[in-house]
Amino acid sequence: MLDATTLRIAWRNLGRNKRRMALAVFAIALAQLAVLWTDGLMNGWIDSTVHALTGPMLGHVQVHAPRWENEHAIEQTVDHVDERLAALRALPGVEHASARIYTPALVARDTDARAAMIIGLDVSGESTSGLLEGVPRDQLPSGHGVLVGATFARQLGLSVGDELVVLGQSVDGSIANDLFTVSGILRTPVEEVDRRGVVMALAAAQETFAMPDRANELTLRAHDASSADALAARVAALDGFDGLDVQSYRELAPELTEFVDMAGAYGLIVLALVMIAAAAGVANTMLMATFERRRELGMMLAIGASPARMVRMVIAEAVVTGLVGVTVGTLLGALLVFWQSRNGVDIAALGGSSSGSELAMYGVAVAGELHPWLRFSDVALGFVGVTLVSILAALWPALHTARLEPVQAMRS
Amino acid sequence: MTARLPLSMALALFALAALGGGGAAAQAGAPDVDALSDRLDTMWTSSASIARIELTVARPTGTRTLRMRVWTHGNQRALVVVEAPERERGTATLRRDRSLWTYLPRVARTMRIPPSMMLSSWMGSDFTNDDLTQSAQYRSDFVGTVVGRSDAPAGWLIRYVAREGVVGLWRRVEFVVNDDATLPLVARYFDRRDRVARVMTFDEVRPVDGRTIPTRLVLQPTDHPDQHTELHYLDIDFDASVPESTFSLTELERGR
Repeated sequence: MLDATTLRIAWRNLGRNKRRMALAVFAIALAQLAVLWTDGLMNGWIDSTVHALTGPMLGHVQVHAPRWENEHAIEQTVDHVDERLAALRALPGVEHASARIYTPALVARDTDARAAMIIGLDVSGESTSGLLEGVPRDQLPSGHGVLVGATFARQLGLSVGDELVVLGQSVDGSIANDLFTVSGILRTPVEEVDRRGVVMALAAAQETFAMPDRANELTLRAHDASSADALAARVAALDGFDGLDVQSYRELAPELTEFVDMAGAYGLIVLALVMIAAAAGVANTMLMATFERRRELGMMLAIGASPARMVRMVIAEAVVTGLVGVTVGTLLGALLVFWQSRNGVDIAALGGSSSGSELAMYGVAVAGELHPWLRFSDVALGFVGVTLVSILAALWPALHTARLEPVQAMRS
Repeated sequence: MTARLPLSMALALFALAALGGGGAAAQAGAPDVDALSDRLDTMWTSSASIARIELTVARPTGTRTLRMRVWTHGNQRALVVVEAPERERGTATLRRDRSLWTYLPRVARTMRIPPSMMLSSWMGSDFTNDDLTQSAQYRSDFVGTVVGRSDAPAGWLIRYVAREGVVGLWRRVEFVVNDDATLPLVARYFDRRDRVARVMTFDEVRPVDGRTIPTRLVLQPTDHPDQHTELHYLDIDFDASVPESTFSLTELERGR
């Protein structure tokens, strides 16, 4: 369709007004740069938000007793925990599976009690990825040692080594009470745990609340967060899991899911805006270029170039301009994203706050740095978009050229 | 205006108002609400009493029964000590005015229940810590009115509406009492959204130490039809000698 001669003529034409060409290329490059930059930030932002929520608390998939989601009562337990965890760990795509117990209790150092949330968990599992990530080894709960949320500890005036009385209710309804020792103070972005959390080893919680081999929640971490829904479906299909609630974090945190989806739509809006700007740039350049060359174009028609060939030539000029621009933009954009990824972007600063304050979602403070990254599709979308837009934008000048009356054009 | 009213007419109006007292009270044989309030406030207590009770907590997962001994001084002092089952034996709750302490023999510690936990379950039952402190007195904290006759069960329907400024869980409590307003039959507790949150039924009326009173109270939370709590009075000594020191922290922690 596009023969070499047409392409060569088109390429040579581009060199006619170097400054104008450079401006067009620069505009398109800038557009692609903007698209890649926002895409990169968006990807990093979604990653860090999902990680902040699923990392310490949600996990990627959760398993509960049927009524747990609404009532959170301690007697709503999953039984045969050890057997179930073994089955879950054997599933492909599962990085980590562990059990948790959550129950409200009264906690006191002296006489005055305060309402607390007891969390019993798999200490070794959660210290590599989970709620206890980053806790020094010697502070990890074991036996009757417990970690206490930092704010809670401050309010109760607790420090490491203090004795704690825990009063709660066992699964069978009887009174559960025991003495524990504070082994460490837990600094966590999870607000509930920070404010009221008392974290103990799963075995200690099972013993205190009379629930051997039982737990309130099974939490799974997938190798790939995006496969959570598929993993949840596989878990639900396991033998003996049919009576249980199996949910992915996407279901557990619908607002997060909505937010992620919305971010995708926002990316498309940015892409559309930038493309409109690129279209205007290409159309303007091509119009200028063709009007300026009326005589020359008329001459070409007069010596036998077909109108269709003229159309192809003009469009080829536009597409080449677009592709050169988008390539330059991609290189610059990739460099920028790579640089930001290497150095990290402060999330708080991104939210317009200079004080480094934290953003909270689901009671989890999302803080620290995000690391932008790009998908192949983010880059490809720019290429495809710019090419299409260049063709569309060049149609008018191209058709105008094709309809030129050779004699009139040469005389002008 | 009133000052210019002839005395006879003013008296007549006063008499009418006193007789009327609200439409329902005009019904024949309507009960005296104040007397009923007093009776409700002191039905199971006296200036010094010792009672033995059985608390049965029914849950979908099973039923458990606690036997306890209760020492009281009116409505402001109470000490409840678990006698059975063995696992919870010695667990004690002390109520002094509006404060609540729990003694845990297993760890030999006393804990003060924070005000924020007043609405939480007491001993795993459907009763709340607040019920135990009986902070609401029908005579002083509520305004009672006779609504009229009730069909199921048959008796008088009495409505208690919390007085303005009284902090409490219940905006309104409706009792159905027997014909001579001596015994409660049913009480319905309305929450702040004016929905029935729980229903208490009173039965097994028998003489206990000179009083004829219901000895079984069944508490049914409305949002959990599959669970309830029964409070059984096994016996009550209304003329017991209970020293004030019974209601002290040292006594609470004394080995039992």
